[in-house]
Order: sequence, then structure tokens, then C-alpha cells
Amino acid sequence: MIAVIEPTWYLLLAAMLFGIGAFGLMVRRNPLIMFMCVELMLNAANLTFVAMATRLNDINGQTAVFFVLVVAAAEVVVGLGILVSILRRRPGATADDLAELKG
Amino acid sequence: MSDATFLEFVVFFSAAVMILGGAVGVITMKNPVHAALGLVLTLFGVAVQFVAMQAHFLAAVQVIVYAGAIVVLFLFVIMLLGVDESMDLSIEPIPIQRPLAAVMAVGLVGLVGAAIVRARDALIIAPGDGIATAADAGTHDANIKQLATNLYGDHVFAFQLTSVLLIVAVAGTVLLTRKWPKDVADTESSDA
Amino acid sequence: MIASLLAQAGDWTSPSIDWAALAPEIVLAIGVNIILLLDLQLAETKKWAIATITGFVLLGSFVAVVVLAVTGDGARSLFDGRYVVDDYALILKALFLLAAYVVVLLSQTELEEGGYYQGEFYVLLVCSVLGMVMMASARDLVSIFVALELLSIPAYMMAAWNKRNRKSNEAGIKYYLLGVFASAVLLYGMSLLFGATGSTKLTDIGAALLDGDLIGLDVVAVVFVVCGFAFKISAVPFHQWAPDTYEGAPTPVTAFFSVATKAAGFVALMSVVFIAFPGADGVYQPLIWVMAALTMTFGNVLALRQTNIVRMLAYSSVSQGGFILMPLAFAGEPGVGPAALNAVIVYLIAYAFMNLGAFAVVIAVTRKTRSGEISSFGGLFSYAPGLAVAMTIFFASLAGIPPLAGWFAKFNAFKAVLDAGTTAAYVLAAIAAVNTVIAAAYYMRVLRVVWMDEAPDGDTSPVKSPAPVVAALAITVLGTIVLGVLPNLIARAGAIDALTGAFAG
Repeated sequence: MIAVIEPTWYLLLAAMLFGIGAFGLMVRRNPLIMFMCVELMLNAANLTFVAMATRLNDINGQTAVFFVLVVAAAEVVVGLGILVSILRRRPGATADDLAELKG
Repeated sequence: MSDATFLEFVVFFSAAVMILGGAVGVITMKNPVHAALGLVLTLFGVAVQFVAMQAHFLAAVQVIVYAGAIVVLFLFVIMLLGVDESMDLSIEPIPIQRPLAAVMAVGLVGLVGAAIVRARDALIIAPGDGIATAADAGTHDANIKQLATNLYGDHVFAFQLTSVLLIVAVAGTVLLTRKWPKDVADTESSDA
Repeated sequence: MIASLLAQAGDWTSPSIDWAALAPEIVLAIGVNIILLLDLQLAETKKWAIATITGFVLLGSFVAVVVLAVTGDGARSLFDGRYVVDDYALILKALFLLAAYVVVLLSQTELEEGGYYQGEFYVLLVCSVLGMVMMASARDLVSIFVALELLSIPAYMMAAWNKRNRKSNEAGIKYYLLGVFASAVLLYGMSLLFGATGSTKLTDIGAALLDGDLIGLDVVAVVFVVCGFAFKISAVPFHQWAPDTYEGAPTPVTAFFSVATKAAGFVALMSVVFIAFPGADGVYQPLIWVMAALTMTFGNVLALRQTNIVRMLAYSSVSQGGFILMPLAFAGEPGVGPAALNAVIVYLIAYAFMNLGAFAVVIAVTRKTRSGEISSFGGLFSYAPGLAVAMTIFFASLAGIPPLAGWFAKFNAFKAVLDAGTTAAYVLAAIAAVNTVIAAAYYMRVLRVVWMDEAPDGDTSPVKSPAPVVAALAITVLGTIVLGVLPNLIARAGAIDALTGAFAG
């Protein structure tokens, strides 16, 4: 076994995290949990950015993560705001109940 | 990266278990509160990996912003809306959907994973300015300083505009969740 | 204590900033604060003033863009080439600001009468425009991401703004969920791209991708990034949010989404395709080719079946997106690049005028009929001949009938594609030609209702349009006709060498 923890390992970990998040987003029907799955995917991107920054020895990757954190915070606030305004009127809605608009 | 000690392996793998375990928890738990706790586990795991990669400042921010603010917000909304009763997982809107999603997700991970593994040697190594770490002698805040220099130098404009983003998120959300005056009737869509 | 802190920061030098180049953004940022503060002070009866002030803020920013364009001597590069103000950026900034101005004109009466929260709505609108204006200049993955979020996050809220209406709520949540999913995909692609090429700067990424063969990681990263943007431009198969969101959102907001937000997505796509991905044309060209063909076909076929005019316009805007995407599928062919860029910009400008105009007519008519069904437009000519003529102009332009703006835009797009001269190009051009005919069918169907049918219920009382809507109609009609008759105005603007020169570097 090679005695070095390579950035590649972190990248593979991030890829798995991204896959789990994407899977969850596709199968779960509770909007709150779908938001959480998006957070998982964003974290996969963060992990990749930092691992790549380490590999490349370039601080820009870490700066990008900083921005993602800020944006994710704003995104969650807005998403939950929209959700609250819906669910207050209709408790227990799932993504499938939101079927007023048919594709 | 220096040679990893046994301890570093332990840290990597235990954090990896935290991350993946938490993530699986998020997508399988029936109760949203449990899912949120799974999310916390994942976020802490990511923070640990940040520390292992010498990104100390980001690790701290990860814990403060994500675990401290975002997850609390999730929990708060769950409590506020009272949707903490279990969601019925057995309902599958389209029977094929779950296996199909699983195949797609596995395919995605396989594809990206193969690309990553194959790129292991081809990745360009260290063209950047180098990252200062706390391990450098006598400069425990080197990582923060370097990050700040980069943030307030090359990326200062984007940084300024994120402040606009936060203002608009706050202002808009307050309005969205505000109750309407009682005398204004709800106008359900006319053709609903 | 502060002194000791300052002493520690002795090695810090502030970046030199070309403030003049940032003037449009600064005007908008100050405007956001002014609107927000004034809104607190104004009584409920005087909220209409906010719309006027928003208009002035947008025009102020527009003036700054024009001054920069007139006095500018080539590209101004800021922050080590991460933010570039060149002719390409200025044209698109002007487009975004003008489109937003028309949307403000359309929103004014709609918001007053609909009982929406007004002040904050305009704050969101201006913030979204700020993100678009930033997008036009962003030349770095980080600033592109921030710009994209800055323009999307207010848009999610605007879609849900009519919060007493269930459809609007759902429009918001659907748009939000698919939007953040797209952001996550885009961001993951960006992180891989950063790792594979070693930079977040588009020019460096371009150089790294041109240097040597593509590895698998490059390919995956490029595909993720293009797919992330495909959501924003509602390209098939990433279009599901568009019709629902367009129908559910308040109509002026729909006009804004279908024109400005979509254009911003295209601008981001153009920036990465032309600056960062010249070395990856083998990856993105087939991808965009397939998306363009699917987008125009699906959009059109579904538009044919719609009975609701807003929904029809939604699908028509999806299909128009396919036409705009078409030249980008050959952006990497030798010698086609400048023509493709020109074609996309010209199409975006023409599309902005005619689509905003179409929505303006819909808003004006539905104020009276209170119905979105196409049949409710029957007999429009008999009681509102002005609106009927305007509608005819916009729909004919959307269908691509000369001598209107849409015709010239389509002609340009076809020319760029045929310039490529490959089999793939001829096939795509043929698909596009068939689609042009299909599109003409449903635009003409609406026009037949407008001109031939009787008014439903025999209600032929004239439509009273408020002044702002009339102004919006005037601007868009003028734009649609002038661009069609005098296409050289934008043909030249889109083909400035400096613009492609910047991309060559």
C-alpha cells in the first residue's frame, strides 16, 4: 500500500458524495430533503476544490470554496423562504403534490 | 504531501465514513430531523478533511456557516412547519424511477471516478503560487492571510457583490414569508 | 489596538481598480440601496414612485455603459484579467439594462393592481440585473458562479412573488429546485475544470486545454459545465422548469425570465465556449449540436399543442433558444468562430425586442380579458387595432418573416452554420429550416384568431392600456422594425474585431 494520502482519494470521495446527493435529489419527494441533497452536492464540489487546490498548490481553489459557502447560505435562506410560504398554506406538500402545473 | 502516518490514514477513513454515512442518512431517513442530523455528520466530515488538507480557515467556516447556520435553519423550518412526521418512502410515483436513478447515479460516479483515476498522473502539478499552511514555522495565520490577500485582491469585486446577494436574500425572504393583511382575500388561481 | 493591527497589515497593498470601468455596476449597486431605503419611507399610496426611480437607476447605468463604449479605447482588464470590460461586454450590458427597463415599464401597473409588494420587487429586479451585468464581464470561474447566483436567486423569489397564488408558489419552488441543482452540477464541473487545468481564469483554462491532448477529466468537466448552463437557457432535456415557471410566475416576470435570464445564460455559455474551451471543441460541439436540435424541435412540437398563450410563448421561447444555440455548435470550426459569435449576439438582441413585445401585448390584452386562453384574443383587431398590429409585428418577427428583426437574426444564424460547411452543419440547418416552418404555423394560428375570429362574448369595448405599457410597446415595436430594416446597426456591433480579438488571446 502506498503510504501517501493522495488528492485523488479526496476526489473519489467527493465523486461518491456528489453521486449520493444526485441520487437523493432524484428519488426523494420531500422538498426539505431535496434541499439537503443539493447541499451534499455543493459539499462534493467544495471537497474537490480544496483537494485540487492542495494538488495544484493554488490558493484560488480555497477562495472558490469561500464563495460557495456564502452563496449556499443565501440559496438555503431563499429556498426555505419560498417553501415556508407554500407549506404554511398547505401542510405536508411533497414535490408530487406540486402538480398544479402540468408539464 | 508528506508520507502519511498511520494516524493520517485513520483520520481520512474515519472522516470518509462520516461523510458517506451522513450522506446516506440524508437520503434514507424518513424523518427530516434525522436527515438534517445526517447532513451535520457529512458537513463535519468535510470539515475534518479540510483540516487534513491544511485548509484551516475553511474548516472553521464550514463548521460555523454550514453546521452552525444552515443546518440550524433547516431544523428551525422543520419545527416551524411541523413537518417532522415521517414521510412515506414506499410511495413511488413512477415504479422505474428509483432503480433508474440508482443506475444513473452509479454511472455518474463511475464515469467521474474513472476520469479522476486516469487523470492521476496527468494532472498539472503546482503551477500556482503555493499555499501557505499553519505548519510553516512561526506563521500560524499564514493560510488565513493568504486567503484574505487572494480574496481582497483578485476576487474583491465578486466578494463585494456577494454582499448584495445577502441583502437581497434577506429582504426577499422576509417579504415572502410575511403574512398578508387579513382583509386581503386569497386569490386562488382562476382556472385551478 | 487598531494601530497595531494596521502596522501588521503593512505588507498589504490594495488592488488597483479601474473605477470608471465598473461604473455601470456601481450605479446599480447604489440604486439597490436607494430603492430599499426609499421604500421604507414611502407611504403605501406613493409606491408607484419606486418604479420610476428604478427606471432612472437602470437608465443611469445604461448611460454609464454608453459613455464607456464611446470613450473606451479597447478592452479594460481588471483584477488580473478576471473582469474584462470590452465591446462584447458593453453590448450585452446595454441589452440587459434595456430589457430590464422594458420589464419595469410592464411591471408598473401590473404590480400596483395585483397587490404585490412593490418596492422589494424592484430591489430584486435590479439585483438580478446587476448579476447579469457582472456576467457580461466575468472572465473567471468564481465570478461567473457568483454572477449566475446573483441573477438567479432574486429570480427564484420573483417567480414566487404572487404568493397568494398557488401556481406562482409552485413556479417558484420548481424553478428553485432545478436551478440549485443546475448550480451544483455547474459548480462540480467548475471544480473539476479548475483541477484539470490549474486555474480559475478563463484565458488560462483555454491555454491549458489547447496545450496537449484532452484527458478524461477535461471531458467530464466540460460536459458538466455546459450542462449546468443548459438549465439556465432551458435547453432540452433541461427545460422542464421553463413552461411551468413561465406560466406560474407573474407575466412581467415571465417576460424578464424568457429574455434577460436566458440571455445571461447564453452570455455565460459564450464566454466559456469562446475563451475557455477552444481546445475542447470536440467535446462541446456535439453536445451543443444535440441540444440545439432537440431544443428547437421539442419546443416547437409542444408549442403547437398549447391553448394558453403564455404557455405557448414559453415553449416558443424554448424553441427560439435552440436557434440561438445553433451557431455555437460550430463555434470551434476554423473561421466560423466570429460569425457564430456575431450570430448569437444579434439573435439575442432581436429576440429581446420581439419577445418582450409579445409579452407586452399579452399583458395589455389580458388586463381586459383576464384570460390567458388563445381563443380570448379573438376579434382583437375589431376593438384594439393598434394592439393587433403590434402583435402581428412581433409574431411575424418571431416566425422569421422579413423585413423584421427576427428574420435577420435567423438569416445570420443560418449563415454562420452554413459557413461551417460540414455534414453536421447541413443536417442541423435542415432541422432548423423544418422547425422554422412548424413555428410559423403556431404563430400564424394565433394571428388568425386575432384577425379573423369574433370577439368572445361579443365584448368589443376598447382596451385601455396604461402609459408605461404603451411606452414598452413603442420601444419594442420600434426595435423590432428598425433592426429588421436596418440590420447593419447590430450586424456591425456584433462583429467588432476587438471582441474576437479578446477571444483569440
